[in-house]
Amino acid sequence: MDSFKQAFDLLFSFDRELLRIIGVTLRMSFFSTAVSCIIGLPLGTLLGTHSFRGKAFVKKLINTLMGLPPVVAGLIVYFLFTHYGPLGKLNMLFTVRVMVVAQCLLITPVVTALTSSFVEERARPVIDTAKGMGLSGRKTLFLTLSESRGMLSSVVLNAFGRSIAEVGAVSIVGGNIQWKTRVMTTAIMLETNKGNFSFALALGIILLIIAFAVNAAASFTVKEKSDG
Amino acid sequence: MVKIENLVKEYSGRRVIDIKNLNVNDGEILAVAGANGSGKTTLLRITSGLMKADSGFVEAQGKILFMPQQSYAFRGSLKDNLLIGLNGKDKKGEVEEILESMELKHLSDKKAVSLSGGELQRLALCRLLIRPCSLLLLDEPTSSCDARGTELVVDAVKKYVEKHGCTVIMATHSPIVAAKCADRMIILNDGGIEADGEPGEVMNDPSSEWAKSFIKDWRT
Ligand SMILES: Nc1ncnc2c1ncn2[C@@H]1O[C@H](COP(=O)(O)OP(=O)(O)OP(=O)(O)O)[C@@H](O)[C@H]1O
Ligand SMILES: [Mg+2]
Repeated sequence: MDSFKQAFDLLFSFDRELLRIIGVTLRMSFFSTAVSCIIGLPLGTLLGTHSFRGKAFVKKLINTLMGLPPVVAGLIVYFLFTHYGPLGKLNMLFTVRVMVVAQCLLITPVVTALTSSFVEERARPVIDTAKGMGLSGRKTLFLTLSESRGMLSSVVLNAFGRSIAEVGAVSIVGGNIQWKTRVMTTAIMLETNKGNFSFALALGIILLIIAFAVNAAASFTVKEKSDG
Repeated sequence: MVKIENLVKEYSGRRVIDIKNLNVNDGEILAVAGANGSGKTTLLRITSGLMKADSGFVEAQGKILFMPQQSYAFRGSLKDNLLIGLNGKDKKGEVEEILESMELKHLSDKKAVSLSGGELQRLALCRLLIRPCSLLLLDEPTSSCDARGTELVVDAVKKYVEKHGCTVIMATHSPIVAAKCADRMIILNDGGIEADGEPGEVMNDPSSEWAKSFIKDWRT
């Protein structure tokens, strides 16, 4: 209970560093979610609706990437962006941008796989029905999106949840630099290592509150869907 | 007029459609019968353009409407479902009229997802029949309907054909629908046409085991 009190005291003290950490966390999660959904949603839709040569290979690749351990993803991105790496010229290591890259490597396969299995099972009848009614391609797409909005929002929120909770990859490529790349999860790691348990716990509780808010939003939209 | 020639569709080497020649005249209602897996749905989907054949061709002019075997309820009320096909504009009270004719009017403000199987199937038909077309493809439009529902569907299809003069191809497992609605009937067997003729004759063919079992439970 002490930690709860400390969490709230911490939150409402508007400690500048804490606000910074929350800000960096939200920025990183927002962009990771946005980029992985911009790639994953159309790709998943394509996989779910079309058959083409090499589709089986793409699916295997995605499934493999889904099982990629975050630290390995972090290492790969680290080596790509390290000074002597192929993308070292971009000078992006230890920035929020490179953390977003690592996160996308982890989250895009999940978004793609979820979307394609959903489209295969659930969107097929919508598309068939709309086309059977003689509706235009644009109207069919609009209806499909509208019928799937509950699912779409839960995929997006799932992506956001993963990105906000991830620690392995972002600590490797971000370096947990104070004021710059320190996010909630890496801060918790650090405080725990320093033996600052109640502060770490307080951070954890704030993270939980954010995760809860995201989840509440998710169940709200899903409920709205099943109601019709 | 619908022309089908040398139509072939295979799934991993197995032929599920193999039709040398099939012509359906303007204004004709053709019933397509056949056992489960005989290729009825595949034939309709290819004709509708939703699916490609491996070879051969289907020629059909004008607007084609297709009712899938599984009916889907869009979000919103029955009215909302019908307005989709009208681009949101119901100038002449068509929505009311068609719901009335299918005995769904008392449900018009209910959510479509809450409909029973037979009600939903009738709604799906309404969604198509609210607009004119030149070829109407129906995949087992009465599979969830009771006797009354079947009667409503048969009447609606006949009226629609009278009004718009369109051609209809309907898959069915119901001898009642074949007898009361269709001008002509074919039987598919492993993707090929086994019998073709006037429904009464096809169903009463004493040499066909399949026809016997098809009408076995049918008493009028
Ligand atoms: N996507 C698919 N992949 C492989 N085989 C398929 C596929 N779709 C259909 N088939 C096969 O093609 C055959 C014809 O199927 P179809 O759906 O046309 O039958 P049907 O006459 O409509 O049957 P029912 O009376 O059960 O509706 C079936 O044996 C089915 O297993
Ligand atoms: Mg079928």
